Amino acid sequence: MSKLKEKVAIVGIGEVPTGRFPETAAIYHAIESAKLAIRDAGIHKDEIDFCMPTASLFSPQFNTELVTCRVVEELGLKNCKKNCQVFSGGSSSSCGLQMAGSLVTSGVARTVLFVHSDRLGTGVTAQGGIDLFSTAGISAEWEVPFGQHYSSIAALSTTRYKYETGCSDEQLASVCVSNRKWAEMNPNAFFRKPLTIEEVMASKMLSTPLRAKMSNMLFDGGAAFILTSAERAKDLPNRPVYILGESGVVTHFVYSQEPDVSRFGWAKAAKEAFEEADLTPKDVDVAEIYDSYPIYQLIGFEELGFCERGEGGEIFMKGDTWPGGKIPTTTDGGMLSKGHIGAGGAVSLLVEAARQLMGKAGKRQVEGAKIAVETATGGTYMDAQVTILGTEIP
Amino acid sequence: MDKATKPIPIVNPWARPFWDAAREGRLIIQKCKECNKNIFYPRIACPYCFSDELEWVEASGKGTIYSFTVVENNAPSAFIQDMPYVVAIVKLEEGVQMLSNIVGCDTRELKCDTPVEVTFEKLNDEFTLPKFRPVKD
Repeated sequence: MSKLKEKVAIVGIGEVPTGRFPETAAIYHAIESAKLAIRDAGIHKDEIDFCMPTASLFSPQFNTELVTCRVVEELGLKNCKKNCQVFSGGSSSSCGLQMAGSLVTSGVARTVLFVHSDRLGTGVTAQGGIDLFSTAGISAEWEVPFGQHYSSIAALSTTRYKYETGCSDEQLASVCVSNRKWAEMNPNAFFRKPLTIEEVMASKMLSTPLRAKMSNMLFDGGAAFILTSAERAKDLPNRPVYILGESGVVTHFVYSQEPDVSRFGWAKAAKEAFEEADLTPKDVDVAEIYDSYPIYQLIGFEELGFCERGEGGEIFMKGDTWPGGKIPTTTDGGMLSKGHIGAGGAVSLLVEAARQLMGKAGKRQVEGAKIAVETATGGTYMDAQVTILGTEIP
Repeated sequence: MDKATKPIPIVNPWARPFWDAAREGRLIIQKCKECNKNIFYPRIACPYCFSDELEWVEASGKGTIYSFTVVENNAPSAFIQDMPYVVAIVKLEEGVQMLSNIVGCDTRELKCDTPVEVTFEKLNDEFTLPKFRPVKD
């Protein structure tokens, strides 16, 4: 058992809307999110002794500013002892949470600010975004020369999954529809108009069988959270969001080296995380599952144990994952509907998990949510990170 | 817009024999002398038993399509003129997997687990890429 269990809690969250803001500097998304998180936590800014900005991809110059303490100075965090970047691509949420928790349980830090911001919507062109994501995290020796990019990667997982399970394109499209139903109620989401399976199926084919509306789009945005000890959390205004269990599996760097591109390491990571929490998927009130493409949300949902392999498509289609359904899933709309902001895609999901458990999710609040599971993965789905969060220490 | 130049492999020194062989129309992979496992892509130590005793062996060039996709839109700049093109993970008879392109095929007839064989496409004087085509009955 890790030493994080029940020892640390998320006590404050902050987020700015996801969208295209050509006039807004990237630092705004970071410091506004951080400011909101500090106020939400009900702490004085000078309680923060460790600032942990994760990486921004759109500009090496801006990322260097994050590394070199700009957030600390902008916010005037005068008791901050260290500013240090923690980054694992799309799984930075989970890795950042575990790192922050480890610092607090070891006594190195008392209160950690984790913050993300990026400008992938307006800081790069559309083709620039495609080109960035045909090299970032993709092997320059073994895959880039063959025209690999993130759409083809998601398509390769989808093709194999369909071949092994018989899942239909309409069932995949229903994952996008499910996420949109949540996004309709999320003021921070970019896509908020209702979406139908027919619209997804009529959208442009990118890499067979993946269509444009099955693909995430890149935007600007940011999110932040404050983590401190469970002991300190008891004195703060928010309902503390404790880490109850966590695990992860690193599977590959070069995508084509993954022996099972329609499963990855999710089952092992989930089993270990649920075991640590002494809980099962049946105990989960809300599932925040990483969704850069519908295939990965479907695989994550199934491998976590919410249903048997191959049954997920039907479950998403019939509404069990929708608002009011039995297993509310990816309740901020995810990267498919809220929008993909780089490493922040999963930071948003983690913040949403905390928001639901704090009871602050507004119209999309899952009634009485006490247990949440959050997943994240980076690079070309190189790792499977699973965290179980809860409002009570059992 | 000018056609973007095709990206060439950024070669790790210990993988150089693989690319030299590909230029000669041969597909080679590593084999561990201690645990006898086949290895791709080339490593400095066996990723299974951690031995340094690795040798190069000829691969059969035959395998099956583990998964594939036909890229029809939104390709990286250097590949826009190639659309539609097929990206596939090929599983070689030797048990290793590699990313490649499937060429010389009717894309509508591609299926997972289809048998394929290697063919070589010259990229420039230095690099030739191993690609695959369906095995004709």
